[in-house]
Amino acid sequence: MLALREVQAAFRRGLLDGDDNALAALVAADGIAATERMAVYRNNVQTSLTDALRDTFPAVCRIVDERFFAYAAHAFLTGYPPRRACLAEYGAGFADFLAAFPPCRELVYLPDVARFEWLMNRAAHAADAEALAPSSLAGVAAADAPRLVFRLDPAYGFLASPWPVDRIWRLNRPGAQGDETVDLASGGVHIEVGRCGPDVVFRALDAATFAFRQAIAGGATLDAATATAFAADARFDLGAAVADLFRDGAVVAFTLAPEAVP
Amino acid sequence: MITHHHDAAIAAAIGVGLRAPHVAEIIATRPALGWFEVHAENYMGGGPALAQLGAIRRDYPLSLHGVGLSLGTAEGIDDGHLRRLRSLVERTEPMLVSEHLSWSVSGGVYLNDLLPLPYTEETLDIVAGNVAKAQETLGRRLLVENPSSYLRFRHSTIPEPEFLAALVERTGCGLLCDVNNIHVTCANLGGDATDYLDALPAAAIGEIHLAGHARVVRGGKTLLIDDHGAPVAPAVWRLYRRALGRFGMVPSLVEWDKALPPLVILLQEARVAAGVARALADADACAA
Repeated sequence: MLALREVQAAFRRGLLDGDDNALAALVAADGIAATERMAVYRNNVQTSLTDALRDTFPAVCRIVDERFFAYAAHAFLTGYPPRRACLAEYGAGFADFLAAFPPCRELVYLPDVARFEWLMNRAAHAADAEALAPSSLAGVAAADAPRLVFRLDPAYGFLASPWPVDRIWRLNRPGAQGDETVDLASGGVHIEVGRCGPDVVFRALDAATFAFRQAIAGGATLDAATATAFAADARFDLGAAVADLFRDGAVVAFTLAPEAVP
Repeated sequence: MITHHHDAAIAAAIGVGLRAPHVAEIIATRPALGWFEVHAENYMGGGPALAQLGAIRRDYPLSLHGVGLSLGTAEGIDDGHLRRLRSLVERTEPMLVSEHLSWSVSGGVYLNDLLPLPYTEETLDIVAGNVAKAQETLGRRLLVENPSSYLRFRHSTIPEPEFLAALVERTGCGLLCDVNNIHVTCANLGGDATDYLDALPAAAIGEIHLAGHARVVRGGKTLLIDDHGAPVAPAVWRLYRRALGRFGMVPSLVEWDKALPPLVILLQEARVAAGVARALADADACAA
């Protein structure tokens, strides 16, 4: 008799790899073949995870169509099954998977549409956070300001794409109508995703502001984020950029990085 | 003889499963229902979903129904998931917290289905350990639900209702009796649904689930699929009446997931459940 751990490992392989042999020997047929019985569970797992991915990536699904999406989702969930029980958190690797998935290689913009939808999904489910008022910085000495590390509201996400991903998404989002087209050669975009009350929102940023906010979101010091922004555009206005972060309610905490040892 | 006392108790006991497409209508119309149940995993992040749940919780008792704890996993339940469930319990102060007699985690992979267990002494040790840990972490009693099954392991030695009774004995947990699951499992594996129901420890039943199922034909034989995608079947209503007769008026829930109909249809099913309970109460009153 197999230990429960082995039974469950055999079941997992049967569900994901379609290899039922090890398990079939353990199952009482009772008039219906063991493989038919196991197929019920396999179908439940495959369809529920495909549904979860479709909920998170509706525009990707619309672009490639339902059948292709189910095919790609099947390949993804077999190779990268979820590791957590909250299905809204499943699919972080789907964009990279699509980028490497030969059957959709020609849809060069598709992985970025998936990245965009993933950021919107993350924003929708991000933990609620209380924004700091600018006055909370009152105790920070001007000399220490370069060492400030802001923590942004976890709903924020950033995507730089060589494709007009925001417009591609608008035309393919759930409920979109019409037959408008997007010129793929019309240029890329720097997108910031966030949440405004209950609603997920996004907007295009100029390159310097994008570089600044993305660096801040990644945990960079104010000094390092500023350098990144200036590298993108020498006209970057630091004072305005910091004021905007607070005006947007984006900052939820801050710390001071340790002073560099001279 | 219908008494107002009965009516009030019955109305308070009947709830429906809260599903996202119905939430706005419920907040706007406040239907007369005893309580709502949600899948805990849908509220473990933040944002609008949690805010809406808060709005409903202000007006109704809530039950948290977990689908992802994997009480039957031989690897031990995931501490991180258990902590998230505890946070949600602390935040929403539910009247009931329930999970399933099933597993979904193997090799660290979450398989997103309520998978079947071989009912052996080894499994009983594992599930009892996991239930005890969950109850200790949550600081409260857990209700464990009987699953819908599509297969039976040859090496199972303990009938499912006896396994559940032993689990109650070992851990002090309660049971969530899903009468549709009993019907589905007995049809799929061979077994008498009323015998199953009668073998459950009545005092441990803290909740009843009602739902619809589908029917598929495989190899010339019928399998019932617990898809929560149809009205409650007549045979399941009969089982519900018998369950109320044995367990008393415990909180009862109508669930619907697949092909979710308008809220009014769920409310109609809830009224049918209340009607079954009232008819039973009347019969009892006449017999007294």
